[in-house]
Amino acid sequence: MALLEIRGLCKAFDHVVLDRLDLDVEAGEFFVVVGPSGIGKTTLLRCVAGLETPQAGTVRVRGTDVTGLPPYRRNVALTFESYALYPHLTVFENIASPLRARRRPAEEIRRKVREVAKLLRIEHILDHRPGEISGGQKQRTALGRTLVRDPDVFLLDEPISHLDAKIRHELREQFHHLEELRRTATLYVTHDYAEALSLGDRIGVMGPGGLVQIGTPEEVFERPRSLFVARHLGQPTINLLPAALRREDGRVSLELEGCGARLPLTAEQAAALSARTGDRVVLGVRPHHIALADGAAPADGGLLEARVELYEPLGAKGVLLAELGSTRLHVLTPIDVHFRPGERVRLAFDRSAFLFFCPERGVNLVD
Amino acid sequence: MKQETTTPAVPEWFEARRKPRARIVARWVPWVMVGIPVLVLLAIVVYPTVWMAYHAFHDTNMMGLFTGRYAYVGWQNFANVLSDPRFHNSVVNLVWYLTFGATLEVLLGTALALILYELVPRPGLRVVLLVAMVLPMMLPPSIVGVLWKFLLQANNGAVNHLLINLGLMAPTERIDWLGVDLSLTSLIIADVWQWTALPLLIVYSGRVSLPPAVFEAARVDGASRFTVLRRLTLPMLKEIIAIAFILRFMDAYKFVDKVYVMTSGGPAQSSELPVFIAFQKGIREFQIGEAAAYAWLIFVVAAVIITLFLQYLKRVLKAQAFA
Repeated sequence: MALLEIRGLCKAFDHVVLDRLDLDVEAGEFFVVVGPSGIGKTTLLRCVAGLETPQAGTVRVRGTDVTGLPPYRRNVALTFESYALYPHLTVFENIASPLRARRRPAEEIRRKVREVAKLLRIEHILDHRPGEISGGQKQRTALGRTLVRDPDVFLLDEPISHLDAKIRHELREQFHHLEELRRTATLYVTHDYAEALSLGDRIGVMGPGGLVQIGTPEEVFERPRSLFVARHLGQPTINLLPAALRREDGRVSLELEGCGARLPLTAEQAAALSARTGDRVVLGVRPHHIALADGAAPADGGLLEARVELYEPLGAKGVLLAELGSTRLHVLTPIDVHFRPGERVRLAFDRSAFLFFCPERGVNLVD
Repeated sequence: MKQETTTPAVPEWFEARRKPRARIVARWVPWVMVGIPVLVLLAIVVYPTVWMAYHAFHDTNMMGLFTGRYAYVGWQNFANVLSDPRFHNSVVNLVWYLTFGATLEVLLGTALALILYELVPRPGLRVVLLVAMVLPMMLPPSIVGVLWKFLLQANNGAVNHLLINLGLMAPTERIDWLGVDLSLTSLIIADVWQWTALPLLIVYSGRVSLPPAVFEAARVDGASRFTVLRRLTLPMLKEIIAIAFILRFMDAYKFVDKVYVMTSGGPAQSSELPVFIAFQKGIREFQIGEAAAYAWLIFVVAAVIITLFLQYLKRVLKAQAFA
């Protein structure tokens, strides 16, 4: 039995946000919900926390149906995107507030708050008020307020998204080490795919209406079930090229629209797609699956010539925007190269990483 | 072309794009803009204050004012005021009035505002109730005074009739609302009726602007409604309530309109306030010297109290660091 069970959850405001959503989060699991902003991630958390009443469906915590219960009887802890710290109370009192609400003895409160503060490395600011501390410290305080409670389920709403990159990275590392989060079920919401891939034991990609794909980070990143998922994960975004499947003397190949180039397919891909020859498809290639080719073309001909439109050196890597016929694509390059707009480059595609989507329905045709 | 270059403090293109005429305008416009209000203030605030300070030390009365014959009397006017039992009585009245009037207005206004926000779920109904409660504030204070004077008449006033009809009072009984014992209370009732809406509006708008996430966090934390009120809402509204109180205090301190209309300070000076006496002395009896001394005492006390208030506010705002 999963620690957190969500069945058929429906929530609509003036439009449908969650449509029959099912989700199980096991004890000790760190589940990350990732999706574009405004898609309903926060609504999902608020339904689980009890701040919103769903129109239908159930939420179970440790097997108990909590759907109709008020927030405080659910034993779930929620951090808010805006931190929601009590501005007139010190950091200590902010962290202590859930214990105070439960009328725990003063001694226990002091001990627990110190423990949590030590864990989050905010012991030195316990006497400060939220107005006097930095964003990262506010975030840690908000986290401390949830950690101190020993809840069954942690609900974390974009906890580190609004911090600057350096602190974000530091807190991301800290999340990996927080034992407390490992004992319970954690539902973590973010719009940042890198956070999701780095933190999640499993991740769920949220699209209009609910979770469109659930799986381990590798599964979801490498085998997206739909165009929506493929487009949402990865930076720069996946290259999507309109193409058509062709069969020539028994071999299936891919003809790219706009430049007419033909790309051979691997045996498995050919087998999976052979029924669709003649159909139009959308080819998905991640930027790091395209390499710059120098020297001779490989024997199977997976090499295309493109024109450089823009080159961005980004320190550890470079991003090349290339024009291939009438389409554009991003290529991730090493740093020791340089390009000028208008230059011609030759690109080698990693065929084994090709993804094929149906242009009408957006589903992955091979998976 | 010369080699040596001196960098001008202002680049030449900058001076060149300003026409000479524009420069003259730019020079006198600020003076005029600031000067006119300053002159007006000098005429209507500074001059009368200085004039009043001067006459507070003279035995000026109406004759003296017109003939210009008045003598320096030192601190005599102040001594007269401070030793006058009428003044002592009015100070006691003022303290009563401030404690039970201004304080009651703020307490009642705060309570109503929070009840309205927390317990009335429909926004439309909330607006209707809010407007209804704010209406008394829209009436001129003197009209409110007349209104309540009628309502509180001992013999055929509506309030006494209501009490009789509700069976709370024998039909032969009469409560003398405007008599010696109750005149101050009646003033307070009329004033609370009219001005509770101001703290209500201030606190309500303060409550509306508090971040909802903080209250949701408290719900998730498991705080009870009472705890939320005591540990969150009221502390977060503390400064707002203080501001409402300062506003009501300042207004109550110079309260004179309803006193004038409803009781004229009577009967037997039972509802007199210092400002009303100053007004009586100055405008009715033309004891300019003594009235000026009254006004100065009132002014100094007000200045001290407001300074304390502002210092408190500054401290609170600083402690919160505008979180």
